[in-house]
Amino acid sequence: MNHHRRRLSIISGLLLMVGLIFVIVPYLWILLTAFKRPVDAAAVPPKIFSPISFRAWEELLSGPFPASLVNSVIITVGTTVATLIIGVPAGYAFARGRFVGRWFLGGWLLFSRMMPPVIFIIPLFLFFHQLRLINTYLGLILAYMSGLLPFTVWMCAGYFEDVPQEIEEAARVDGASRMRAFVTVVLPMALPGVLTVGVLIAIASWSEYFIPFLLAGTGTNPATVGLVNYVGSNTIDWGAMAAASLTLVLPVVVLTLFAQRGMLRGLSAGAVKG
Amino acid sequence: MRLISGFIERHFLQVASWPALLIMLGVTAIPFGITIGLAFTNYDLVRSDQWRFVGLDNFLELAADRQTPIIIINTIYLVVATTVIPTVLGLGLAVLMERSIRGIGIIRTLYLVPIMTAPIVVALTWRAMFNNDAGWINYFLSIVGLPTPVWLGDPILAMPVVIIADSWTSIPFQSILLLAALLAVPSELKEAAAVDGASRSRIFWHITLPWIRPVLFVVVVLRFMDAFRKFEGIQQLTRGGPGLASTPINLQIYTTGLNYDRIGYAAAWGIVMVAMIAGSLALVYLVRRRQS
Repeated sequence: MNHHRRRLSIISGLLLMVGLIFVIVPYLWILLTAFKRPVDAAAVPPKIFSPISFRAWEELLSGPFPASLVNSVIITVGTTVATLIIGVPAGYAFARGRFVGRWFLGGWLLFSRMMPPVIFIIPLFLFFHQLRLINTYLGLILAYMSGLLPFTVWMCAGYFEDVPQEIEEAARVDGASRMRAFVTVVLPMALPGVLTVGVLIAIASWSEYFIPFLLAGTGTNPATVGLVNYVGSNTIDWGAMAAASLTLVLPVVVLTLFAQRGMLRGLSAGAVKG
Repeated sequence: MRLISGFIERHFLQVASWPALLIMLGVTAIPFGITIGLAFTNYDLVRSDQWRFVGLDNFLELAADRQTPIIIINTIYLVVATTVIPTVLGLGLAVLMERSIRGIGIIRTLYLVPIMTAPIVVALTWRAMFNNDAGWINYFLSIVGLPTPVWLGDPILAMPVVIIADSWTSIPFQSILLLAALLAVPSELKEAAAVDGASRSRIFWHITLPWIRPVLFVVVVLRFMDAFRKFEGIQQLTRGGPGLASTPINLQIYTTGLNYDRIGYAAAWGIVMVAMIAGSLALVYLVRRRQS
């Protein structure tokens, strides 16, 4: 019995390792290729190890990529802040009771979770042309919200439901207004959850490609779109592409390592409660 | 000022929710309504001032188009494969990660990283890995003496490439969600069954699986909906080709609408897509209600 159990845990350990290799190899490719000389990066057959070179980074820094990284930061911060400011109170309202439009909000939350962005994007593209919102940060942030706002309201409603209503009522008996009770009592109690949602929104907007691909332009292109510039239809600049990928991936990996506990909960809460 | 704060106090939930309502209306509800309207016009980006209603013309053209069956079949192929494979393998991975072995914390974290990686990076990196001459995959295949196919240019292999690259993020995703469910199964139940002499596999099939079934259902539905919206994983990996070999409905809408400027026709495709998603979800819920 003991022998059998031991063998089982060795087998499962091995399987986990094989899976990890599958996970790690693409990152390894990015890491190694980002520090290759251009000849080595495009070598046939591929050279897995080769002398370290910073040519790809020099090329990346002298091109339009740094500006697109700045755009990514602006769009990510803007989207995260705006979505939280608008979505968190709505999540609270949704958790707490009745208001005009609750049925509509609930229904649309579900519907826009179901429907792919392409359904909304084509009319938005036409709208934004009329309103001159194409190639503006404001337009991009509004478009990002089409997917992220429902997510935020939905998740925050879950966190606010966990805050007991009695605590809030006690604060109001003590003379606090509803607004005050929300900001000073309810919000702090739901803060870990709200912060997790904030991290997930930030990662999602940092990684978004489809929306800016259609609605951004020179001047507002984020790094996800900038990255594709190194991949032509015939020639591919592997080194610069890998270096650009590394800059996109690294902040997210660091954030994931720091916030993993909350993220695990955040990701699974969506499934368990949904 | 007093008046305003009094209004906020009396209608707090209303005030808290209307900005979100307004934005949802503007960026999803109204655009969706317009998509429905556009599907009955011949709106074209190049001749945008000459549009008119054309009734069901777009849908008739769609029904007669020889590309339509290919795209519908591709969509079903992609959605079924990227739902079933990651869920089954993800469940297996979750079972492995459920065991408390040394270093399991760091292993779980490592499996979390692909989920958080930008899909465009995933697509381009796999494109490099699958590259004919300079890619690592064919290099390793040639070292061990296996055939080295033209992965991205082969009509039969293009879709499997998309599915493999998708699995890289979606197996971990499914397994992280299912792991949370597995860890919530009361251990007393499993221990009691083990004391009664039930084997591991019996315990899994008869106790664990029924217990996590509600979560499994939600996880499958979420994955199913995400499978339809897959874009950069195809557009940047195979470009939908060769030919139409890896073009699902999502990419087709983008191509007809914004590459060929035929917004009206693209909107009709959009309606077909909404119908496919809503129809299959309704079917799934009906079957589930009948079962329970």
